[in-house]
Amino acid sequence: MSNLDDIIPPATLNQPGTLHPINQTKDYILRFLAEMGFKEVHGPEIETEEFNFDMLNIKKSHPARQMHDTFYVGDKKNVLRTHTSPVQIRSMLESKPPIAIASAGKVYRKDDDATHLPMFHQVEGIYIDENVTFANLRYLIHQILHQLFGDNVEIRFRPSYFPFTEPSAEVDILSDEGKWLEILGCGIVNPIVLKNCNIDSNQYSGLAFGLGVERIAMLKYGVNDIREFYKSNLDFLTQFK
Amino acid sequence: MKFAYKDLINLLQVKPSKELLSEKLFQLGHEHEIQSDIFDIEFTPNRGDCLSVWGLARDLNAFFGKSEAIDIFKENFDVLDIDFENHSPSDCPKISFLEIEVEEISNNYKPYLESYFSIIGNKKTNLFTDISNYISYELGQPTHCFDRDSIKSKLIFENKECNNIFKTLLGSEITLKDHNCVFTLNDEVISLAGIMGGASTACTNKTKKVLVECAFFNPESIIGKSIKYNLISDAAHKFERGVDIASQEMVLRRFVKVVQDHATIKSIKFKSFIETAEKSQLIPLNIKAINKILGTSLEDSECLGYLKSLGFDVSNEIKVPSYRNDIKTNNDLAEEIARVIGYNNIKSKPIKLKKIVFNDVSKVSKLESFLVRNGFSEVISFPFSSKKEKGSINIDNPLDSNRDNFRTSLKDSLLESLLYNERRQKDSIKLFEISDIYKNNTEIKQQKKLGLIISGRLGNNYNDFSKKLDFEYLNSLLNENDITHIFEIIEIPRSGLDTKRKDKIYYVEISLEDIPTSFFQKLDIQKKAINFIKYKPISEYPSSTRDFSFSIDDSKIVNKIIEMLEEISDEIIKNSFLFDYYRDEKTQIVKLGYRFIFQSQSKTLSDSEIKNIVNKILKPILEIDGVSIPGM
Repeated sequence: MSNLDDIIPPATLNQPGTLHPINQTKDYILRFLAEMGFKEVHGPEIETEEFNFDMLNIKKSHPARQMHDTFYVGDKKNVLRTHTSPVQIRSMLESKPPIAIASAGKVYRKDDDATHLPMFHQVEGIYIDENVTFANLRYLIHQILHQLFGDNVEIRFRPSYFPFTEPSAEVDILSDEGKWLEILGCGIVNPIVLKNCNIDSNQYSGLAFGLGVERIAMLKYGVNDIREFYKSNLDFLTQFK
Repeated sequence: MKFAYKDLINLLQVKPSKELLSEKLFQLGHEHEIQSDIFDIEFTPNRGDCLSVWGLARDLNAFFGKSEAIDIFKENFDVLDIDFENHSPSDCPKISFLEIEVEEISNNYKPYLESYFSIIGNKKTNLFTDISNYISYELGQPTHCFDRDSIKSKLIFENKECNNIFKTLLGSEITLKDHNCVFTLNDEVISLAGIMGGASTACTNKTKKVLVECAFFNPESIIGKSIKYNLISDAAHKFERGVDIASQEMVLRRFVKVVQDHATIKSIKFKSFIETAEKSQLIPLNIKAINKILGTSLEDSECLGYLKSLGFDVSNEIKVPSYRNDIKTNNDLAEEIARVIGYNNIKSKPIKLKKIVFNDVSKVSKLESFLVRNGFSEVISFPFSSKKEKGSINIDNPLDSNRDNFRTSLKDSLLESLLYNERRQKDSIKLFEISDIYKNNTEIKQQKKLGLIISGRLGNNYNDFSKKLDFEYLNSLLNENDITHIFEIIEIPRSGLDTKRKDKIYYVEISLEDIPTSFFQKLDIQKKAINFIKYKPISEYPSSTRDFSFSIDDSKIVNKIIEMLEEISDEIIKNSFLFDYYRDEKTQIVKLGYRFIFQSQSKTLSDSEIKNIVNKILKPILEIDGVSIPGM
């Protein structure tokens, strides 16, 4: 007969919490970009128009600069950054090529409806060196999308337009249902942007890309409504263990 | 923009199927959807030249060949005697007028004109306006039709300070403010140039004599105005993106031709006012530079062939066509060539970046892992607040007045998140957020802050179930690492909050820069790999809680019973846990308290449904000798 005093009371573990799925996804992307050679850099969310727009070749007349697209703050002295690109401008001004950096974080657009939020997250990367070409960009984007969606994912490049890249592309992947889904924007850094950052555009060229973290998280986790991420609902958040 | 498939192939020499046309449009960068016979295409803002059937056919020329020309009026014009002055040539370097007088108007539109209304779904107004709209669709150049008899004095184009009400031809009244490019008669604004005409000079069904205005307005002069006045305007959309500065006369000749198809013409008169002659954009020929951008080794002749197919004149220099205001550099040309080749046909070339040395796990990561391990869940909140506090940065154009400041603390949004979860029947809540906070005193300062908030039970296990998350809990959690001096735990009073709960709420906010390095050194953190779980949508139906109190005579089988309970699963069991454990030292009888929380994805569960499932899942346990639920 066993000694009753040996009976051990059941364990009293409590469940751990969870990291926010957007931050998990963002960290995951940053980690594999770091493994590719992109160093993470940080910058402020409150930016000047110069860094958020002018330096990126976004002209005063560009629709994005209108009051209905961009939040202006502090008596129009500054803006809430509309993308993480100004972080890259700051880094380019501070360093010399070769440069390989990634910036990630919150960005703001004056939007609030079923599929658009006034705040969301981006990850962007830029690589500047001698002889960086569009063919290199194609290679790198394939690497990134294989990492995210597997080696067999079908990838489609489409011409697009961004003031800070030329040529510019948007990239789609083919879903299981046979639909093309837009995943990221990319391009060859516009020589005007390099010049703005005191980089000799005759000697150097660059490639750049940007992804929406919410979009990737929605696809990877199967979340259909972007607003779910920001309701702070524990029934939602604690699923992402 | 909507195109009828039949109109597009009508201007192409080779007639592609819808599938092939769709494929080539994507290759060229023209995203679209197809609804039966309509291609609804979303053009990038640099491609104003594609906003017409003719313009799009030009872009497709490389694949299908575009028709040689469009049927236009080819005879000489009589000179129009018009009293007009252009007071702002920088806004409008080129403007032409066409006056047509007709005798009779046919009510039957020719099929090409009729289908613009029937297939694409536009609304007819009167012949001249209908032709103007059709020509904008066909050629991309907006025109405006004035009723000729309403223009009785000197017509002036000017960029002028306005402060008056303007009635548009669609009937809405808008208040003009600041500077606007306008047409005036005796100082009265009769048309908002490039955006919308006015009611007082508009054509009607009775109009027999029309004055057609056809201009090139600088995009900068038009941008933002249609949004400012909340006017939906096809003309503004086109002028903002830039129309072809060389096309005005050709467009008016086409206008005459279409009128001829629908009415007997009495007279045609024309006059052009050209303030600045257009200049061609020239780019030195440098195929090597283009190959260097693309990473290709294309032959000169191949590249030049592609450019010619897009309308570029190629000799010692590359002459950009007048309608391509987006092309200025070799990078632009490289994109053109790559579009015709197809981005997906450009072979990728490996690059290797220099490997970087990994930094240590960041402070933020360490802190996050420490908190998650201790049961805290991370939230991310929008940083907008209605509170104006010292150092608050105000948003000049907020979404609404409840969101007109940037938050200066994480407290309010964390409190809101906590109350939200309390309302959703959560009784043990531990949340955190880490975010940059911005304040502007003399200059904008950025600080990374951690906010923690708690309320409810200490935990679900039987030791913690009847204890509360409190000051001591938070204090000892943080104290463990000796940082007591840098934070202050506050209790947030429930008075004034929309809540019925009684549990105390504790909150603490810490600046990351204040946390000593020693704190992080003590944390042993292994970053775990991400697991992309398949998310299960949250049920919007209420959950039901059932507690069961087991009495077990034989202590030896207690662990087995607990194991059996833990293994129970069913799609409507949302959560279950052992919340009570008591062993009577004298009798050796063990009492277990076990809680099940039921919730369905599709309905509110009834008592009998819950009873049925309870009977099913507990049956094997209650069949064991010495296990009972007193009173059941």
